[in-house]
Amino acid sequence: MSAAANSSADPRRPNKVVRYKPPSQERLDDPTPDYMNLLGMIFSMCGLMMKMKWCAWAAVYCAFISFANSRSSEDTKQMLSSFMLSISAVVMSYLQNPQPMQPPW
Amino acid sequence: MRAVPSAACLVALLLFPLVAIVEPQDEFAEFEDNEFAEFEHVIEDEEEGDFLSIETEDEEEEVLWEDVLDAEFDDGEADVQVEDDEDEFEQFDDEEFEGFDSERTGRKGRSQDPPDLKITNVPYHLRTSWENFYLEILMIGGLLAYAMNYVAGKTKNHKLASAWLTAHKDLLEANFTSVGDDGQGAEVQSGILMKESEHIYSIWCSGRVCCEGMLVEIKLLKRQDLVSVISRMMRPSADLVTVTVDLGVADMDSFVFAVGNKKTIGRLHKDMNDLSLFVPDKRPGEKYGLPSGMAILSESGEVTNAMIDNKMVRVLNNYAEMFDFLHISDQFSGPKVKDGDPQPATKMPDTKKTIIFAFNVPGQGRSSVKDVFSMEPMMKLVFHVLDKVSRFRLSKEAKTKADKTRLKVEESFLKMTHAQRQEAAQARREERRRAEKDRMMAEEDPDRQRKMEEREYRRDMKKKQPKVKQLKVKMG
Repeated sequence: MSAAANSSADPRRPNKVVRYKPPSQERLDDPTPDYMNLLGMIFSMCGLMMKMKWCAWAAVYCAFISFANSRSSEDTKQMLSSFMLSISAVVMSYLQNPQPMQPPW
Repeated sequence: MRAVPSAACLVALLLFPLVAIVEPQDEFAEFEDNEFAEFEHVIEDEEEGDFLSIETEDEEEEVLWEDVLDAEFDDGEADVQVEDDEDEFEQFDDEEFEGFDSERTGRKGRSQDPPDLKITNVPYHLRTSWENFYLEILMIGGLLAYAMNYVAGKTKNHKLASAWLTAHKDLLEANFTSVGDDGQGAEVQSGILMKESEHIYSIWCSGRVCCEGMLVEIKLLKRQDLVSVISRMMRPSADLVTVTVDLGVADMDSFVFAVGNKKTIGRLHKDMNDLSLFVPDKRPGEKYGLPSGMAILSESGEVTNAMIDNKMVRVLNNYAEMFDFLHISDQFSGPKVKDGDPQPATKMPDTKKTIIFAFNVPGQGRSSVKDVFSMEPMMKLVFHVLDKVSRFRLSKEAKTKADKTRLKVEESFLKMTHAQRQEAAQARREERRRAEKDRMMAEEDPDRQRKMEEREYRRDMKKKQPKVKQLKVKMG
């Protein structure tokens, strides 16, 4: 249909090519990775300081969720550091107290 | 780039704590000896006098170790553990006490215990079996499930996005000189599918008459995030394809128009700057032959009649579930700023001429490659509308009306911000005066104070004077 309408003239104009400019404004509609990152850090700290195993495990989950939702433009170093922190929280909790986790019930 | 190495890294790192837990019990033994040694005292007699003696004698370390093996208590919970341990210690109770008593009194008495040592010399991790760690195993299982879902979702999303590009490449290449440029590199690229994140892909096309460029954003569902997958089971939603066409100054006349799904149109009417400023109300789509679930927002009836032609009606009726909305505007400036914004704009936001299309990928979340291929009529609609908009010109009266409306909007904006700007200037002036007065008060030297007062007085006079001067000029 549009091909029929434009068959007489090629709509392409090589001289009108404009390079892609990434939008300057960061995509604000999805704050999930940032929140999860922050939450992961908080859980890691709690897990390390208070020796709470479930905090440490929650931190690992938060780090993973933040990684899954992150944008490509974000720094991988930040992601990796939050992963490392959460895994170190888990390891430290178990080294200090090798007992299995007690369920709250 | 981050997918496979990160996933492998993650799995390796996750296995590390398991290894740490399954360490040979030697470390644990020594670690526990010292720790349990204290509690040995606390449980039995709560004496701390012999604490050191028991610790330093190696031959008694094993006794202590096996005795408290079943203790399973943490630091500081010895009192609680006493009750728990009593059951387990029943069989060993007498012997244990005997041995312990003799240790305390004689310090060499371990006549009965050696046979028990052999029985209880069982590695720690076999005594507390794996079953006790079921929560940890559950956690690791959850993480593995998440990782697997991540890889699967990522692959599916990538497949869908690539399928879209493949399906529409011919149509796009027939219309644009450059399809798939990413802005990097010195030369114009082609065929690049930009990955903004694991669920958002975009394609930039340019080099066509009637427009500056077209950005196709394929906003897929977050299949790579297990949490989103689970929440989607409660609330199904669809993948979106958003096409934003940037127009040049001469490519479009002045009008604002939108048509689409009733709910979406209602939301746009509230949120978008231009639609809320220029369009007073929305009209039902049935009046123009559109399906009943659609609504129209238009600046003038002339525009509506021109835009909703037979072709559009046919396409919208046939593909109603695929079409979400169409927004054509020469005053597009994005969504309204929220009230909580600390920086109210002091000048009008930049506007540009834009056409935005939004399509739903059929399949309501369970889309497949086939569904993506079936979206071709939508892209043909895009080009049809594009050509139509570039050809359409308002009648003279509609044009004057439109220009007047735009001027009015601009004036009202300036008036509003003028008040704000004045307030800001006034506040600044007040601040300065207050600072000066404070400085004056702080001056201790009477001479300097006098000088400052004079300066203030002169400044006040000067402020009053210009008005007088102006009057003189006017009268002159």
